[in-house]
Order: sequence, then C-alpha cells, then structure tokens
Amino acid sequence: MNLKPLKDMLIIAIMKAVPDIKKQPMTLIIIATLSFIPLFFTLFFGGQVSYALVGGMVGSVGFIGLASATQDITWDRYLKIREIIVAMPVHPISYAFGVALSKLLYASPGFVLFMIIATALQILPLSSIGWALLAVFLCWAALSSIGFVISTYLRNANLSTLSNMSNILGLVFIFIPPVFYPEQMLGDFRWIAIVFPTSNAAGLIRNHAGLALLSPDMVLLRWLVLIGTTLVSLVAVSLKTRWREE
Amino acid sequence: MEAVKSVDLVKVYRGKETVEALKGVSLSINKGELFTLLGPNGAGKTTFLRIIATQLLLTKGEAYVFGYDVTTQPEEVRKRIAVVPQDVQTYGSFTPWEYCYYFSLLRGMSKTQMKTNAEKSLKAVDLWELRNRACSTLSGGEKKRAVIASALSSEADILMLDEPTGGLDAVARRRVWTILREMIGQGKTILLTTHIMEEAEMLSDKLAIINKGTVAAVGTLQEIRGLAKEKYRVMVEGNLPDINLVQPNNRVVKFGNRQIFYLKDEDEALALAKKALKRQLKAEVAQVTLEDVFIELVGGE
Repeated sequence: MNLKPLKDMLIIAIMKAVPDIKKQPMTLIIIATLSFIPLFFTLFFGGQVSYALVGGMVGSVGFIGLASATQDITWDRYLKIREIIVAMPVHPISYAFGVALSKLLYASPGFVLFMIIATALQILPLSSIGWALLAVFLCWAALSSIGFVISTYLRNANLSTLSNMSNILGLVFIFIPPVFYPEQMLGDFRWIAIVFPTSNAAGLIRNHAGLALLSPDMVLLRWLVLIGTTLVSLVAVSLKTRWREE
Repeated sequence: MEAVKSVDLVKVYRGKETVEALKGVSLSINKGELFTLLGPNGAGKTTFLRIIATQLLLTKGEAYVFGYDVTTQPEEVRKRIAVVPQDVQTYGSFTPWEYCYYFSLLRGMSKTQMKTNAEKSLKAVDLWELRNRACSTLSGGEKKRAVIASALSSEADILMLDEPTGGLDAVARRRVWTILREMIGQGKTILLTTHIMEEAEMLSDKLAIINKGTVAAVGTLQEIRGLAKEKYRVMVEGNLPDINLVQPNNRVVKFGNRQIFYLKDEDEALALAKKALKRQLKAEVAQVTLEDVFIELVGGE
C-alpha cells in the first residue's frame, strides 16, 4: 500500500504549523479566544448554551477548513511556494489536506475546550463524542476541499480579494444555516440545514447528544448527505482542481 | 542522452486577450549540461520552463524529461526535477534548515540523507552559519540562497532555475554561479533562464536565445558569437564630431561620447583603434560580446 500521500499530508501539516506555533505560541491562545466570540454573542442574545457549544465546535473547525486553508493556499501561491510543490511528487489532495490539517492544529485548542465544556455540562454525553468527532471531521474535510478548489480556480484574484471572499464564505457557512440556532426557526426552509455541511453536522451532533432528536430515516439521510458532500468535494479536488495551470 | 526535449512546443494563453507565448519551440538539452534560455522580458523563457517543470499545460507539441512525457507522465517527471521559480519568496518563520528539511521530506528522503544533503547544500550557499535564523531576519540574497539550497539538497537530476540571481548583488550572484557550475561537475543537468548576458556567458555550456516565443539561435557560446555579422567591436571614447573613422556601411552604436564600431575583420578593427588613438581618443578592440549578438538577433538597438 502506498502511504506516501498520507505521509506527505502529515509532513505539510506539521511543517506549516509547528515552526510558526513554536515561534508564536500566543497565536493558539488568540485563536482559541476568538472561537468563543460567537458563543458569547449567542448567549448574550438569549440563545441556549447547548446550541452555542455545538455551534462553537462546528464553527471553529468549519471556518478554519474553508477560510484559513483557502488563505494559506493563496499565500503559498503568492510566495510561489506552491509552484515548487506542484513540481514535486506530491499529490494535490495531500497538499490540500496538509494545509487544512495545519490550520486544524491551530483550531484544536478552541475545539477541545468546547468539547470539554460540553461534556462537563453534560450537553455532550460521552457516548456521543465519537459521532460528534466524525461529523465535525466530515464537515472539515468537505469545507477544506471546497476551499482548495476555490483557491486553485481563482488564481488571478489577488490575495486580499480571495482573503475577503473566503472569510465571507466561512461566515456564510457558519452563521446563515442553523449552526448556532435551532433548525425549527427556518420553518419551510429547514432543508437548508441538510444542504450545508456545517448545519448538517451540527444537527447530527445534537441528535446523537439527545438535544434535538431526528427521525431514524432523517438521521440516515443526513449522514448520507454529509458523507456524500465530503466525497463529492474530495472528487472535485482530485479531478477539477487546477493543480497544473492551463 | 537527452535530459530535456521539446518538439514544436506551442503555448497559447487564452483570456481577454489571446497571447501566443511559445510558437513552436524545439530544443534539446543533454544530460550534464548547463543550458541557458536567454531572452528579453516576455520572450517565453518562463513559460517554457514551467511547461517542462509540469506546472503549466502545453497547448500543442511535445515535451519530455528523460523520455517521460510532461503531459501524460508528470509524476515521473516530478521525481527527477527541482524548481526554483522566478521571484520566489520565503515563509518568514522558516529557517534555511527548515526549508531544506521540508522539501527533502516531501521528496521521500530519509532523515539521515536529508540531514547530510541539507548540511552540504547550506554550506555550498554559505548559509550554514545562518541555518537556524528565521528567514524574516535574512537579507533578500540570503533568502534566495535558502530556496536554492533546498533545491540543491533535493538530489534531483535536473535543476530548473528561473532567473535565480535576480535581485542579488554581484558577490551573491557569483556565489550562486560557483554552486551551479559545481552541480554540473557532479553530473547534474541545469536549465536556467536569465536576461543577464554575463550570467549566460559565464555559466552556459549551451544556450538558446528566445525572442517573442521563437528560438532565434541555439548553440554553444562560440557558436552563438559566430552568428554575428561582424566579429569585432571597437569602442571609442571622446568627442568625434566630424571624423570619418569607418566606411558608411559599418554598424555604429552611439552612447553619448562613446561609440561602438562593429567590424568584420580583425585588421580593420586594429586599424580603426590606431586611428582613434592617434587622435588622442580612448580605444578598445574586442571580440563581439554575447550582448552584441543578442541585440543583433532580437532586433533591438
């Protein structure tokens, strides 16, 4: 079995995160603190703590997957480091997920804190942690793939345009669908919760934690949609990515 | 053995304007050769290099690296090449050591091998003492050498360097030249692009002059110089208001009070120099330079 793609992904993730973290460890604390801002506002405006915590878990990882990874890949392009990597025996998926994983390392303190608080407050029972991790992982993989494809397609966009765009997209994926608020608030538009990987993951976590139960058929459908979205995104990275320019 | 071969390579960029960057470029680069692509800005040098480096798709034609097709077998090509792009920049937080470490690991090198190669490369580019300094604290030349070191430590058979000495001072540039010639001594093949004539003259085993997407000339330095209509140049300095030093059909280029006369014959050139000296002017006879031939071929003044 060829493990090189996996090994490359880990090398990229470690090398793109560890030297920076070692030299600027405060970055981790700042990112973790920033992750709590949506939680603060949700509670401030009368939202439920359970929604805020699950939303925080999905939001911190989802935003990193889409926005930060897109920006990092664009930064590599700007520095022409990506040109060096394209001309190396490295698969685009290894690169895309290596970059996204490096950003996940930055997001991990915030995510772990949300998990600890949710578990301590018995919002997230121990039995549901596995489901929660799987849902968050699939959401992260789907959004990272989307981010990578966007960053390779918009290669003529300048750094700040792409940065702004990826930040807006990140916010759209996290604050428009029901990630921090109950799906019932959407009424007839509840299907939106299934379409977005962020709200789909949040809904599944709430279901497995017993916070907002879904019918068994709906649970199956939502897992299938989440897995399907991730697979389609991965295939898009593999086939549609303009790794080599035209 | 051919390390790189291109046959009628065409590249068309389609956008708001369609630009034909390469118009049927056929080149052959032998193993162990330092081959320079020399051309003015926008000539198509970088486009050619990027196609060979599998970074850019070609529009028409064929290109091979050690027999592997760059279009259909990019993975095989990528195992054998290392690239230093034009105007490449560094991560501020990375050290030169981390650069070598990162790219060597991605090439699947063992840590022991990587350490040996990184040390050798960093010493070669004179960055060993600075190996643990963050790139943000290094000068522009040192940063460039850090990236070059990472390419040198790759053990790739072919190094592709796109204007690697751009922005470097004379000392740093000569250091890079020394390294590149040493790499040739070790059996590597180097494809280099530059618009610096001196660099092409000092380094190349063979060179191609590219202009507006076509190959204007290809050969060794002597062969390229041999393409000049006039083989000698006499540079005369001083006021020459009304003197008639040469025949009217001789090519003359004026830079203020300096004039360069191009002559076919050595005796003719020496005679002209003597005439100028008799009139208390400074005069210098030399063979035509690569730059003279380049200007003649690309049609500039």
